Amino acid sequence: MSETRTRPRLEIETQLAPRLEPVPVVLEAPPSTGPGTLTLLGGGVAILVLGLAALGVGNFVAAQFERAAPLGWLTAAVAVAGFGLIAAAIRRELRGLLALRTVDRLRADLADPARARAAARMWVESLSEGATLLPALAAIQDRDATLALLRAGPIATLRARADALGRTAALQIFAVTAAIPWPAFDGLLVAWRGIRLVREVAELHGMRPGLLGTLGLLRRTALSAAGVVATDLAADTLARAALSNPLLQHVAGDVAGAGVAARRMVVLARATALACSPV
Amino acid sequence: MPFARPTIRIGVTGLARAGKTAMLTSMAANLLALGAGLPALPALSQRLQGRGIRVSVAPAGADPIPRFDYPAHLAALAADPPRWPARTDAVSLLALDVEIGRAGLAAALPPTAFRLELVDYPGEWLLDLPLLEQGFPTWSAAALARLQGLEIAAPFLGFVQGMPAQAAADETLAATGHALYRALLTRLRDECGLALLQPGRFLMPPPGPAPPWMAFFPLPGRSRLASLLADRYDRYRDSARRELRAPGFGRIDRLVVLADVLGALHAGPAAFADAAAALDAAARALRWSNVAVPAWLAQLVPALGGIRRVAFAAAKSDHVAERQRANLKSLVARLTQTQARGPTAAFALASVRCTEDIVWQLEGHPISAVRGRLIGADRLARSYPGEVPSDPPDAGFWTHPFLSLPDFEPLRLPLGGRGGVPHIRLDELLVFLLEDLLP
Repeated sequence: MSETRTRPRLEIETQLAPRLEPVPVVLEAPPSTGPGTLTLLGGGVAILVLGLAALGVGNFVAAQFERAAPLGWLTAAVAVAGFGLIAAAIRRELRGLLALRTVDRLRADLADPARARAAARMWVESLSEGATLLPALAAIQDRDATLALLRAGPIATLRARADALGRTAALQIFAVTAAIPWPAFDGLLVAWRGIRLVREVAELHGMRPGLLGTLGLLRRTALSAAGVVATDLAADTLARAALSNPLLQHVAGDVAGAGVAARRMVVLARATALACSPV
Repeated sequence: MPFARPTIRIGVTGLARAGKTAMLTSMAANLLALGAGLPALPALSQRLQGRGIRVSVAPAGADPIPRFDYPAHLAALAADPPRWPARTDAVSLLALDVEIGRAGLAAALPPTAFRLELVDYPGEWLLDLPLLEQGFPTWSAAALARLQGLEIAAPFLGFVQGMPAQAAADETLAATGHALYRALLTRLRDECGLALLQPGRFLMPPPGPAPPWMAFFPLPGRSRLASLLADRYDRYRDSARRELRAPGFGRIDRLVVLADVLGALHAGPAAFADAAAALDAAARALRWSNVAVPAWLAQLVPALGGIRRVAFAAAKSDHVAERQRANLKSLVARLTQTQARGPTAAFALASVRCTEDIVWQLEGHPISAVRGRLIGADRLARSYPGEVPSDPPDAGFWTHPFLSLPDFEPLRLPLGGRGGVPHIRLDELLVFLLEDLLP
């Protein structure tokens, strides 16, 4: 056995490197205790509105048929089109929510030594540039090595792209809040851009969250944001890089709050990437 | 009513260079960060199940034990470039006030509050516990047997062997032998990396002037000099026994014994056997600590029970990859098997994480390794020190070298230390130590 052991070694890299940063921690959401009051209330209202509307429309279509058959068919077609679009929207929402569940399932599989390799392979295959990683994945038998490879490869790439999206959002926020003459709009603008950024980063990870999906993602992002803020993750450096334009730096003297909001965009992008990442 | 809250005292002790000070600093920083709502200790957060926790540094009060200099040690780790905290020279203590909220219908009640005292206890003193059940002749024979064959011990062994069988109880002889033995212990620790060196207070003397009865050394035979040394040895044991009831150790009810097992694997079979013997001695000594109190009474009145939970931990586990940490934990568990009075557990942890795990292609195979930044070099280094055995290593293991652990610098501390200290499995250790206090 000892003959086949790999010889130990220490190798110093030639390039200068900055101090290493810790990996941010993702907090698990506390176990759900069933639907909350607001969910039950919203569900009841939605059933009443949609159900009563469907009954009303049904009665109306029947009445139209009694007046004249062509009028009835036309009304029925309008009703089917309208309710069809609503059904498509609900289907999209459910798919968005299911995509979030997929991340949870992947995390659970990657945590299990018996299923980690298969789960990693499945996830890598779903990525657009994942094919190049498959031979290396096939050669690894060890779960920890598999995770290390994922972190060094696709996770690092996705994180870099999420950072780029965060920097773009930060620049936009900074420029627009500096230019808008109504300070009351700043908060609205930052909220809208933040939600858009969350969706952009989610799409980067292969999800297309709808309204409910985005809300779920925002909840997860709030949890992972604690980890990102705790680890700081050189967000200062990123924000400084994003705001290195001399004109923006000049304007920054007049708009103190814009710099803070822009920095939060960078953190938000990182937190969302963490919430969407299976590793 | 800050004085009404119960006090839990966790002692952190360990063999030389195991990282006691770094562990106490990391424990305090991460508990304070957890109290501020940051995810510094995920396992503890999960155990709290959403209950709120508040942590603050408690005032020193009138406790006679010197205060652990937490701000200075944290500042050293957070500095850029970072520095490792200075080594422990004496017992010191840091107190934290902890409040854990209640859940459900009890949420309206006041939170569960307790004072958590963290004590930095020199590991050398822990190795004096086995002396309490050994007489002078037994100890002398065992100590001299361990020194046989060591070249570095030749001057002292020569002095002992040259002693006449009827040596008089002469103070000069006693002082000379003591000086030689003490110098030998220091060299064995510093140059050979040995750990099982007794009496521990010779290497880490308590504060204040040394009493005359400290001047003894192992000597076989029944000479008058041996009788004098035996009397002094007994006084030393009495003092150590009193220490068990003193504020520094007597009130410790949970203990962490840290050991640099990876360093011992590198140092070779002799050093590893020595470290294993030291851990075994500590484990067996802790089994009967506070033996004056019967077990049934200790269970009824926990305050009388002495040490109730003991964790044996291999430090610096961030110097090997994740899979090897499981082996390291098994190895520590095997080395510290004991029928303890309370719960015991083994851990492989890193109080201050310095590395990240990587996959390294070595000799055509992907190998789990680690990467860190070397202190003072500003460059990353990849390290695969070798395979960590899950059982005490056999002769075959020693045919391959186990590399020394590089001097990596700590990862950047989140929020300059206010966000906690990056670690490995410190949260699981805290859950074990505080399990009976958590909801």
